[in-house]
Amino acid sequence: MAQPHMVPAAHDTALIAAWRAGDEQAAAELVGRHARPLARFLASAGAPDADVDDLVQETFIRAFRSVDRFRGQCQFRTWLLTIGGNVLKDFGRRASRRKVMPLDDGVRDATGDPHQHAEASEAEALLAAGLKQLPRLQREVFLLRAQQGLEYEEIATALATTPGAARVHYHHAVRRLKEIVEP
Amino acid sequence: MNDERLESLAKRLGSEAAARLDVAATARKVVERLREQPVRRIAWVQQTWLRIAAALVIVLGGTVAVRQSLVRSGATHGAHLVADDLSDLSTDELRDVLTTFDELISSDSVAVPEGSTDLHELDAQQLRAVLRSLEG
Repeated sequence: MAQPHMVPAAHDTALIAAWRAGDEQAAAELVGRHARPLARFLASAGAPDADVDDLVQETFIRAFRSVDRFRGQCQFRTWLLTIGGNVLKDFGRRASRRKVMPLDDGVRDATGDPHQHAEASEAEALLAAGLKQLPRLQREVFLLRAQQGLEYEEIATALATTPGAARVHYHHAVRRLKEIVEP
Repeated sequence: MNDERLESLAKRLGSEAAARLDVAATARKVVERLREQPVRRIAWVQQTWLRIAAALVIVLGGTVAVRQSLVRSGATHGAHLVADDLSDLSTDELRDVLTTFDELISSDSVAVPEGSTDLHELDAQQLRAVLRSLEG
């Protein structure tokens, strides 16, 4: 697996300390460093395109407000992505209560940008649909590993499980996704 | 499809949504929201104090209730408690105690010494006998 470009954790630590001391600029810089990977994670995990921006904001707000609970047990980005998973779960719950379900890919593509629609490959669409069918833990483990390039130890710490269990979840997810993408 | 192809597809997922995100605007909005709702610590502290206050009310309320219950229980068993220390009481003190048991004494089960109609005519030994008979 190709290692992703990860921002230096030491810099994150310094920014977090600055934010704890009340430095708003540090918070803004943390957003700048992690917003796009977070948006990618949320969109892949099923966030409707129109809501990605709001969900990214909500994730950062929650993270900054509970930053005292972050003790460097994993990288800040990993911790942020798990908060993003919770934010998305709450969003889905609220949407189902309002009976306004997120649009599926087919409907969204029909009303979306034709150019973007043309760019989206069939395999990607199938993978996105397959991810929605996975249990939440399998989906998050798969995305943290395959998309974000995290090690099992890091994933396990973030999701409060063991590296072995994370590995098992990943392999289950891969097997299921292959069945969906290659019927 | 091999694992590498799957991972490659996974890496591309959500890239359009990420590219569309205005990071600078998002950072600005996040900071504004944090500034507008600086309730992080205050809310936590308020909640904590509320919990502590609620716990104190429960503890104090419970203590008062238990004390009242004990006092009530003490009144019910007054005769028994008094009777335990009868030997220490003087005649006058025994009479005072008996005054509080007037209603009980009027019952038929109390063994009043033969020939006596008024408690004030009884001596200390007779009063002790009356009280001990209340003990049951």
